[in-house]
Amino acid sequence: MKLQTKISRRFLALTFLVFSIAGVLFYFALGKVVDQNIREMLNSRQAYILLYLQQNPLLSDSLVSPDHSIFIKQVDYLPEYKHYSDTLAYDQDEKELITFRKMSFSVKSNDRYYKIVLLQSLFESEDLQMVIFSFMAVLFGFVLFALFFLNRWLSAKAWSPFFNSLSVLSAWKMTENKTISFDHTGISEFDQLNSTLEIMMRKIQADFVNLKEFTENASHEIQTPLAIIKSKLELVLHDKALNDKQHQQIHAAFESAIRLSKLNEALLLLSKIENKQFVELTEIDICQLILSRVEYLDELFALKQIEVVVNLDEKVFLTMNPMLAEILINNLLSNALRHNIKNGKIFISSQNQEITISNTGEQTQIDISRLFHRFAKQVTSSESNGLGLAIANEICKNYHLSLEYSYLNEMHQMALKQV
Amino acid sequence: MKILVIEDEIALCETIVTYLEEEGYRCEHAGSVELGTEKVNLYEYDCMLVDIGLPDGNGLSLIKELKKVHPETGIIIISAKNSMDDKIVGLDMGADDYLTKPFHLPELNSRIKSLLRRRKFEGKQKLIFDKMTIQPESRLVQVDGEPIQLTRKEFDLLMFFVSNPGRVLTKESIAEHLWGDFADAADSFDFVYSHIKNLRRKLLEKTSVDYFHNVYGTGYLFSL
Repeated sequence: MKLQTKISRRFLALTFLVFSIAGVLFYFALGKVVDQNIREMLNSRQAYILLYLQQNPLLSDSLVSPDHSIFIKQVDYLPEYKHYSDTLAYDQDEKELITFRKMSFSVKSNDRYYKIVLLQSLFESEDLQMVIFSFMAVLFGFVLFALFFLNRWLSAKAWSPFFNSLSVLSAWKMTENKTISFDHTGISEFDQLNSTLEIMMRKIQADFVNLKEFTENASHEIQTPLAIIKSKLELVLHDKALNDKQHQQIHAAFESAIRLSKLNEALLLLSKIENKQFVELTEIDICQLILSRVEYLDELFALKQIEVVVNLDEKVFLTMNPMLAEILINNLLSNALRHNIKNGKIFISSQNQEITISNTGEQTQIDISRLFHRFAKQVTSSESNGLGLAIANEICKNYHLSLEYSYLNEMHQMALKQV
Repeated sequence: MKILVIEDEIALCETIVTYLEEEGYRCEHAGSVELGTEKVNLYEYDCMLVDIGLPDGNGLSLIKELKKVHPETGIIIISAKNSMDDKIVGLDMGADDYLTKPFHLPELNSRIKSLLRRRKFEGKQKLIFDKMTIQPESRLVQVDGEPIQLTRKEFDLLMFFVSNPGRVLTKESIAEHLWGDFADAADSFDFVYSHIKNLRRKLLEKTSVDYFHNVYGTGYLFSL
C-alpha cells in the first residue's frame, strides 16, 4: 500500500469517527435545548392559567380551548401535583398522529380545585431539530471532503523529497562506481536522511571496490606462489636423472599443486559471482551456446561412448553475462559427462522455455538439498573440486534462473528456466 | 631469438628463464615497469613476456611503450589476474596472447614458438621433425611428401609435442593444452591416453618410428 493511501485512509477513518461522535452529541444537545424550550413554554402557560383562574373563576365544570391545547376540569378535591409526559394525538392540520408534550397539574384557586392538562405539539420543534441536524451533517460532510483533499495535497507536498530520494536510491547500482547526490530539501529530517544515505552509499561503494580488489589481490597472491611451486616441480620432472620413485613422488606433488590452483580459481570465481562483479549483460541464445559446447566436447562423449541426443528446436534466450553463461553450460555438461556411465546417454532439450539436461547415471548418495552447496561431493576425486554445481547455482541466483535437480528412471536431470 | 621476461616474482622468473634457455632462447629479465621500459628502449627483442601486476605499475603500460618503439616484437601477457578486463584491454593494445598463471612451462614454450612463427615467418614456416614436415598454418603433416590424416585434436597434440621435443610432458599439461578449462571435465587422462594412442598409430604407420615414450606413467616424452 502506498504511504499516501495509507495516510489518507487513516485520516478519513479518524475524521469520520470524530465527526460521527460530534454529530451524535450535537443531536442530543439540540434535543435537550428544544426540550428545555418546550418546558419553559408550558411553565409560562401554567402561570398564565393560574393568573386567569384567580381572576375569572370557571363557570362550567370543564373547559377546552378551541385549539385543543388546554383542558381544564373542575374537581372536588385534588392533591397538588405536576408532571410531564409525551402523548400521541391526532392533529387536524397535519392529518396524522403526532407527538405532544403533556403537562398535567392541579390548581387550587379560590377554594376550588382544577385538574389541568396542557398540550404542546412537538411536531414543529422536531422538524426544526431535524433541519438543523441535516444542515450540520451536510456541512460536516463537506468539511470532511475538503479536509481529505487538503490533507492529500499537503502530505504529497511534504513527502515529495522522500519520493525523490527513493527514486534516486532505486536507480542506484552498487557496481557502478558513480557518486550520487541528493537535492537539498530544506526539511531537516529529509536532509538528515539523505546525508546518512549518501554516507552509507559511499561506504558501500568503497567497501565493494575494496572487496573486489581484495579478491583479485588474494588470487594474485595465492596464484603466484602456486605458479612457482608448479613450475619448479615441472622443471624437476624434466630432469632425466630422476629415478622412477622420485619422479612419481614429485609428480604427485605437482598434481596436488594443480588441484590447489584449480580450487583457488574456482573459489575466486564463486566469490566474484557472489559479489556480482560480472556486470556486462547480453542476450544469449542458450541453445546455440549449448550446441557449440556439445560440439567442443564431442570427442569426450565419443571416448566414453556416450550418446548425446539434442533437441533444441525451441529457442531460449537469457540475458546474462556471456562468460558466466558459458561457465554455467560448461559446468552442467561436465557434470552430465562426469556422473555418467559407460555407454550412457545424455538428453538435452528445450521445451516451454525450459532447458533440461538429463543423463544416465547411478543414484547419488548426496542429500539432494545439499547438492548445490560447496564441496558436496560424493567421492574425493581429483577430477571434481565440488564447486561446479555451487558455481552453477550461484550464477542462476544472479539472473533469477531456477536450477532444479531430480532423479527419475535412473536419469539425473537438471532443469534450467527463467523464474 | 631474444626474449624479455618481465616478472617481479624472482623464483618464477628464474624458472621461466631456465626453461626457455634450455630451449635455446637468449633471455633477459626485468622485475619492474621502470627496468622493463629501459630494456625495451635499449634493445630489440623477438618476444616479450609481461606480467600485469608489477610493483611499480601496470604491465599494460609496458605494452604501450613497446608498441611505440618496436611494434614487431611479439607480446604474451602472463597474469595471475584471470580477469576478462585485463585480457581484453591487453589484447586490444596489441598483445598477441594471454596466459593465466599458473601455466605449464611446455604450454608457454609452445605459445612462444607459435607466436614467433606467426610474427617472423607469417606462419609459412615449415617445421621439420625427423621424417615429418609440418605446415602449421594449413595444418598439414607430411611424411616423405605423403600427407597424414589427423583430426584437429591430434594435430594440436602433435604440435604440442613437436614444440617441446625431448621434454617430459605431463598428462595434466597435455589435457590442459587440448581442452583448456574442460581439462578436468571428465576422465581427461583417459582421453589423453586414447588420443596419443591414435596419433602414435598413425605416425607409426607412415614413419615406422615410435617417437612417443611413456615416462613412469606420469607423462610422455617425444623424441627420436
